[in-house]
Amino acid sequence: MAAALEFRGFGLAHRRPDGEQVLLAGVDLQLAAGFYLLVGRSGGGKSSLLRVLAGLVEAREVAPRLDGDLLVGGVSLLRPAGELPEVAAILQDEGLLDELPPRANVELALRAAGRSRRLAPALLAQAGLELAPERTAQLSGGMRKRLAVARALASAPRLLLCDEPTAGLDADAARTIAQLLRTAHDQDAGRTTLVITHDLAAFDGIVDGVLVIDAVQRTLRLEPPGFRPSAELVAPSRAPTPTAEPAALHGLRRLALQAAAVLETVVESLRRLPPVELGQVARTTLRYATEPALFVALAGAVIGGLATFFALRNNPVHGGFESALLTGTGKVATAVLVPLFSGFFFTARIAAGAAARLGTMQRTNQIAALQMMGVRPADYLLTPMVWGMVLAMPLVTLAGVVAAALAAAFAATTVASTTLVGWATAWFATVDARDVLIVLGKATLSGYLVALCCYHLGTGPKRSGAEVGEAVNQAIVVGMALVLLVHALVTFVVYA
Amino acid sequence: MHSLRYLIGSLTLVAAVLGAIWIVRVLDAADDQTGLPLQVEFRDARGLRAGADVRFRGVTVGTVRRVVVSADGDKAVAHLTLEATGAGHACVDSVFWIVTPRVHGLAGVSGLDTLVRDAYIAFHTPGGGSLLPADSLLAGSERPPAIAEPDALDDVAHGDLLMTLLVPENHGLRPGATVVFRGVPTGDVRSVTLAADGTHVEVQLRIARRFRQTVTDRTQFWVARPYVSGALFSGFTVTDVNALLSPYVSYYTEPGQGVMVQDGFRTAAQAVRPSLEVADVPAAALRQPEPSAAPDGDDLALVRITYAAVERDTFSADDPIHHEGTGVLWLDRAGRAVVVTARSLVDGGYTERDAFGGDADLGDEQIHVLLASGTVLRAGRVWVDGEGRDLAALMLEQPPPDLRGTPLARLRFEAPPAEPAAVRCVGADGAALAATAIAGSEQAGGAALFGDAVFGIVGRREPLRGDPAVVPLALLPDDLRPL
Repeated sequence: MAAALEFRGFGLAHRRPDGEQVLLAGVDLQLAAGFYLLVGRSGGGKSSLLRVLAGLVEAREVAPRLDGDLLVGGVSLLRPAGELPEVAAILQDEGLLDELPPRANVELALRAAGRSRRLAPALLAQAGLELAPERTAQLSGGMRKRLAVARALASAPRLLLCDEPTAGLDADAARTIAQLLRTAHDQDAGRTTLVITHDLAAFDGIVDGVLVIDAVQRTLRLEPPGFRPSAELVAPSRAPTPTAEPAALHGLRRLALQAAAVLETVVESLRRLPPVELGQVARTTLRYATEPALFVALAGAVIGGLATFFALRNNPVHGGFESALLTGTGKVATAVLVPLFSGFFFTARIAAGAAARLGTMQRTNQIAALQMMGVRPADYLLTPMVWGMVLAMPLVTLAGVVAAALAAAFAATTVASTTLVGWATAWFATVDARDVLIVLGKATLSGYLVALCCYHLGTGPKRSGAEVGEAVNQAIVVGMALVLLVHALVTFVVYA
Repeated sequence: MHSLRYLIGSLTLVAAVLGAIWIVRVLDAADDQTGLPLQVEFRDARGLRAGADVRFRGVTVGTVRRVVVSADGDKAVAHLTLEATGAGHACVDSVFWIVTPRVHGLAGVSGLDTLVRDAYIAFHTPGGGSLLPADSLLAGSERPPAIAEPDALDDVAHGDLLMTLLVPENHGLRPGATVVFRGVPTGDVRSVTLAADGTHVEVQLRIARRFRQTVTDRTQFWVARPYVSGALFSGFTVTDVNALLSPYVSYYTEPGQGVMVQDGFRTAAQAVRPSLEVADVPAAALRQPEPSAAPDGDDLALVRITYAAVERDTFSADDPIHHEGTGVLWLDRAGRAVVVTARSLVDGGYTERDAFGGDADLGDEQIHVLLASGTVLRAGRVWVDGEGRDLAALMLEQPPPDLRGTPLARLRFEAPPAEPAAVRCVGADGAALAATAIAGSEQAGGAALFGDAVFGIVGRREPLRGDPAVVPLALLPDDLRPL
């Protein structure tokens, strides 16, 4: 019988611009199914190993170099042939989807694993969450860990990985979590559970063995359950081993990865355009259409009203050519100015929020959690965003155009004592169905591009809150630039 | 908080949708709902734009919705919507034209307001007709109709003379052209139409009431246009140069010639300007103006009388007779309008003798009476004093129903006191003059007052001598006196 988890000549090294930092080299180890702790010094490669085991490799960064092979139940993880074994991971920050209720988090994982949603109450009860609050964000730290466990178990994994499940909990709570993990582990005889922790006391008496990363030997060692590491030390930092690879190549590789990531976002947006998560699409569209509507309508009203007011008030031929002035103002406001500013205000209002949300999700491992559940982030995040913006941007733009027209009507009838019919006839004299279609086309195209921009910038690697803020900033600037570009190009091509 | 934000956003979107629906309805309303849609074809749209006004008598009553080229490319079709106020004036014979700046040769320019404003459509409805149904297609006029400025004409006031001048050729006369007497505008041209048989042009004239006595049946009219006269060696004279830009109608009346005319008078204009010897200013006009005029509200009804006749001579040319003077008007006991005046004023047979001292052979007698209201009426002699004293009574033909005569309280049918106090006459324009002492023949027919009451009429002591004398009203028979 194949070992539950087997390392064959396994090596793990981070690639840095100045060379490689080897964390593990030539590890040969076979583990039977059981409940193991993974301990080692900070920076020793525990989390990196866990991400490799969970299959979470950041596509936009230079991946670590992997040697040898890793097998789960005799199936290679690194050179997959056939169906991969089910692996679940409970990451630090849990990666809970905050916008969904606790139960929906579990249901999503069940659905992604192809299991019945009706299992959710049992899983929640097992984790002691029968009386959980309605909103995930209201959960306490311990409850979040337990919900993460319930969600991880939804896929009935063969290999369950946990990264610091007891961090930030008091001793009692930590013990409860440890017990919960053990109980969950025992439900399936073939399951292997690997827990990264510094809190060995919490797991006293319930583990089958302790895996130690030896930072000096760069290897993995299996110790008996009672093992205690000598001291909690930071792994000694060593000079990276210079490689034959020049630093320039490293930079080039990063650049290529960035370009590929952009391309992948575009391809994903088109390939995953048919919506899968219909509820998510509907929610997103509703939010994108309603949140900026008042903002854009007010802006449109100000532009339309002021433009009309000033055109009529500063008319050098007092009272003359009023219908010509109204016709010109109406055309430029309806076909060019108000749609452009609506795009700007929509982007300012929506892009920041969308990028911030995605950045936070990335930062708190929610996206990794989605990936782990087998939910494509594109389906869950990109497609709803694309549909939401593609549908909402034209709608909101129309609201802006209508508001501008109403304000202009008010200004014209007040300043110039034009009749309403006279104003309407003049304002829309040269506005035809083609203009409306072009306005809708511009709004749709810029909505699509702003969605891509927000998704791409939001889901990029985030190591800190500052990087989230940076992504939000970029999303606004790039989004507005895209809106300006689309409007300028289309207007120039169509009308010039 | 989130739900509130969604609510506000949703309400905004709903408001935007409602606003869009409203705008579409306003645009539709321009089509058919609140107005009368019309289409007018022009050969040339002259820069007309959608949104331009449609005006009737200068008031905006509609909007041009769009201007398109007809399917066959021959016409520009303006789609209009008339509001309810304008739709009531658009009839089947309405004329629509586009108002843009135009130069009408030497006759002037029009549409200058559109130099700095949009071109607009104006329409004119000559008379009542059946109203236009919706979606009518009309042929527009390429130029303003002849009655382009009917609004510029003053309304006809009560007492104005309305007459018809027949001219062989129009010479560019247009409605609104002035009518001039001695260089003073006295009226205007109301309309210019070709006679039904095409033999002449009929020009309707209005002469203002205060000038109507300047027109008599002897007045000569002509259409003023620049006219060069003279000869090579004597030099040329150009007259009526000011008619170069806009022709006008001029007339001249020899003083003391002819009788005033009634409304509807028709006369033919001279083909060319007559050669006129304009009389000098009469001596009477040189008198200093009287300080006071007749008091207002005086119920003494005095009228101006003109008398014209021809004395036919067997051996010489006929002599025209022309008299003007005053008469006192009242309503007699049968309600008839009676004018009492000097017989010498209204009876040529009383004053004229033929070459042999016998009765004169008179013809073409005409007596016209100018009322204070400005109306001119024909009158006939109904009574003269049987004993040859200078008193006669006229009766008005077709007096107006609201005619007011002198009340009985102001009249005394008894012998006058020895010394008359004052004489009241009317001027040539029919307006009462201030009271004066008895002076001369120009007071003929004037009312002789003693105190407030009229005792008699200023006449002649003898038929053939001009000495003034007061002829008492007591001579009148009873049936001509007021009740």
